[in-house]
Amino acid sequence: MTDVPVSRIRNFSIIAHIDHGKSTLADRMLQDTGTVAQRQMKEQFLDNMDLERERGITIKLQAARMNYTAKDGQNYVLNLIDTPGHVDFSYEVSRSLAACEGALLVVDSSQGVEAQTLANVYLALENDLEIIPVLNKIDLPGAECDRVAQEIEDVVGLDCSDIIQASAKIGLGIDDILESIVQKVPPPADTVDRPLRALIFDSYYDAYRGVVVYFRVMDGKVKRGDNVRLMASGKEYVIDELGILSPTQVEVEELHAGEVGYFAAAIKAVEDARVGDTITLVDEPAPEPLPGYTEAKPMVFCGLFPTDSDQYPDLRDALDKLKLNDAALSYEPETSSAMGFGFRCGFLGLLHMEIVQERLEREYDLELITTAPSVIYRVTTIDGEVMEIDNPSLLPDPQQREKIEEPFIKVEIITPENYVGTLMDLCQTRRGIFKDMKYFTQNRTCLIYELPLAEVVTDFFDQMKSRTKGYASMEYQMLGYRKDHLVKLDILVNKDPVDALSTIVHRDKAYYVGRALTEKLKELIPRHQFKVPIQAAIGAKIIASEHIPALRKDVLAKCYGGDISRKKKLLQKQAKGKKRMKSIGTVDVPQEAFMAVLKIGKE
Amino acid sequence: MIINSQAIFPTAAYIHIPFCRRRCYYCDFPISVVGDKGGKSASFMVEEYIAALIEDIQLTPSINQPVKTIFFGGGTPSLLSPAELSNIINAIALQFGIATGAEISLEIDPGTFDRDRLKGYLDAGLNRFSLGVQSFDPELLKICGRSHTLDDVTEAVNIIQQLNVDNFSLDLISGLPHQSLEHCQTSLEKAIAISPKHLSCYDLVLEPVTAFGKQYQPGETPLPNDDDTAEMYRLTQQTLTAAGYQHYEVSNYAQPGYQCRHNRVYWENKPYYGFGMGAASYVNNQRFTRPRTRREYYKWIEAGAIIDAPEMTASDRLLETLMLGFRLAEGIDTAQFEPDTLQKIWSCLQPYHRQGWIELIDGDRQLIKSDEIDLSSIQKIHLNDPEGFLFSNTILATLFEKLE
Repeated sequence: MTDVPVSRIRNFSIIAHIDHGKSTLADRMLQDTGTVAQRQMKEQFLDNMDLERERGITIKLQAARMNYTAKDGQNYVLNLIDTPGHVDFSYEVSRSLAACEGALLVVDSSQGVEAQTLANVYLALENDLEIIPVLNKIDLPGAECDRVAQEIEDVVGLDCSDIIQASAKIGLGIDDILESIVQKVPPPADTVDRPLRALIFDSYYDAYRGVVVYFRVMDGKVKRGDNVRLMASGKEYVIDELGILSPTQVEVEELHAGEVGYFAAAIKAVEDARVGDTITLVDEPAPEPLPGYTEAKPMVFCGLFPTDSDQYPDLRDALDKLKLNDAALSYEPETSSAMGFGFRCGFLGLLHMEIVQERLEREYDLELITTAPSVIYRVTTIDGEVMEIDNPSLLPDPQQREKIEEPFIKVEIITPENYVGTLMDLCQTRRGIFKDMKYFTQNRTCLIYELPLAEVVTDFFDQMKSRTKGYASMEYQMLGYRKDHLVKLDILVNKDPVDALSTIVHRDKAYYVGRALTEKLKELIPRHQFKVPIQAAIGAKIIASEHIPALRKDVLAKCYGGDISRKKKLLQKQAKGKKRMKSIGTVDVPQEAFMAVLKIGKE
Repeated sequence: MIINSQAIFPTAAYIHIPFCRRRCYYCDFPISVVGDKGGKSASFMVEEYIAALIEDIQLTPSINQPVKTIFFGGGTPSLLSPAELSNIINAIALQFGIATGAEISLEIDPGTFDRDRLKGYLDAGLNRFSLGVQSFDPELLKICGRSHTLDDVTEAVNIIQQLNVDNFSLDLISGLPHQSLEHCQTSLEKAIAISPKHLSCYDLVLEPVTAFGKQYQPGETPLPNDDDTAEMYRLTQQTLTAAGYQHYEVSNYAQPGYQCRHNRVYWENKPYYGFGMGAASYVNNQRFTRPRTRREYYKWIEAGAIIDAPEMTASDRLLETLMLGFRLAEGIDTAQFEPDTLQKIWSCLQPYHRQGWIELIDGDRQLIKSDEIDLSSIQKIHLNDPEGFLFSNTILATLFEKLE
């Protein structure tokens, strides 16, 4: 690896909405610069996890170093730092943007600017990044380049007079993009002589080498064998392995200011090398860490219980292993009278939650029952004690409570104008407070609401998507805690309260939610040989009640001419369904029932 | 698992005759509709099918074990002439041999045969007939889309009685749209008055792909609700048992000595041949269902009638033994299970035993009444009639859940 002068390094990332073609564009650049040979190319090279490739989204970010000979005849090093494309991971996005001097803003030329893109563009502007707008997918019949370019000018306020028109899929405009990265993105500041400061923008756990840290050297130099300190955690390590990402790892001796690379230093878990932390040398430490470090905090909580209680130790081991690679995941043991032993887990957001559940089930072969997601409520008791409650069943009794506060967020939704009505309606029913409405262009209206996070972590996103046929996009920011009239709604199945079904709701919605929940549970819980009452209660007061009629028969009359396969399949299905149920007293409750609160009002 | 479950050779043959005049509204069987008139194209269709069927028989390796039962099911096998059936029986006789005193059953539909034809069937060697009446209510027959009338039923019964056919059965369906308990009772009384040796009484199964399945929701009007159909099941059991019939299987009743020997092969989880489109066979420890359309079936024969199916594992055999055996009133013989398997089965069944749905029989064929159960004293386990039968899937699903 030749030593590259700082003046010929360009560090950039790609900002794009999901589906706007970021991964395809990244792949194309790797190919066209010869970084990855055609035959090694798997689709979406940067998305490493199976889950990412399946869902077409980036969860963990990656980086790649490309060598590019520009039209001026000089050789440049282009470092692409990929960003995760989901609102749950906006902190990670901000850190990877902080590691760059420029960003490509990729917009689908038939779709236009989306809320999340906008949020990330603002993050990029805050970090003083040079932004290069690119219209992608111009080969598609629905492409409206002029309109979308105009929209970017209007909405984002970028000069789009020489916007690049590209199609990553068919390889159009890639040269223009590479060239303008060289021309427009400024080189990193030449601060090679200062004490080392390097920014961690990602890390992952490797079973053999410990945590592998991805970083950008901001000042100074780092080489193999250096004794480094992580300024936020205060921990010290000796670098065993140092290298660049091309995009596979290639070892080098030394990296200097402006360069992007990785190191391994026998670090035990990613929480010891968190994203945003600053690396410096133990012997010659920098006086100040890089700005902007915060610890990513879980916002959404749910209970995870193994359907088979024998799997509890396996679940604990699996969570321990996932935690090695996921600093934002939190968990602690929880005991539920209905569900037995499990864990209360905290996540950055709903997607993060779904991903962790899916990985536990898929990679660790666990069968799980998940309770409905909740947020952290702040409860002040009459003694003046402030408690943080992430589990509705642990809420102190009303007599013990002085007040309950809940987290509020500011939500920005960008939508075509004709869906404004239905979205306002959605926000109103979720206790939203209207703040502002901006008309960007004819096709882009921005709605700003303040909403309780609890109302958003359920099915808000799905509702928004379905009400707008997928056209709207959203972004949110934490605002802080606010006091409200909240009550705990309990559910009784066959007269037994089921803690895992308790929820915290606003007093004004309690009756509606109680009725809807009991109706939904009536649909979801199968018939038993006896009548099963389902009730919703606040304290001792029953506010809604339904019952599941008794099962009268469960028999298949005929085995068809010796073809027993159908009956066998039917029984196997029935048996499988039973396996995934949790017995509450004498009632078998299926997994879906514990998510019933999410299904209210949907059909 | 099961002791001594090594392969035994089939001595039963099922033959599928797919032709029907129309498709009944509840039916999702593999059939070919030929219309009410028949005609030339239909007779060519039948000829072509029989040729393929005989080839299917001839392509099946023989093991010098004569068959003891043959069952012609459908479809409507009585759309075939005595000569045509005779050809098929001959093919079986040539390929495997037919044991003396073999039971040879034919499903016959009212309105498809006259006296001469039934005489012809008897001469061809058929000795057990199952008449597809389904209902004695003319309205219900129409609602089901049956191609025969109540007069056809009366006529068919007359012919059977005139020819002194001893071993015949009637098929009835309960749980039909607009059917009430009174309808059900009347149908049963009319059936008893004919005094067949055997009765099959099926509770309607709503299959999604059928006309009924598309038109109706289970348990919702005009279908009777589950309370009513469960009551119809109990009513059938009481009425027929009082009339001297043994309730020997979930949906089957017989006078002593007249149980269907062929169908018992299925329930005892023994092997059997199956010939014809959509026919299931259980040979060489492989369960196989032939292609369900004529075109695919002919292609399969042409390609050499290859049985491409996985071998049954010990666990498959155990679950199937339970699933099928508990259909029989006499239940399951415990001697066939290894002790630890029996222990597992028993632990699944215990709650149902307490509920009264499972009954245990000791070596002296007496019901075990004590609460202290000594596993080794149990000779047979069976479902209680009718409550255990009514919830048999619940019990079986538990066994599947714990044993699979």
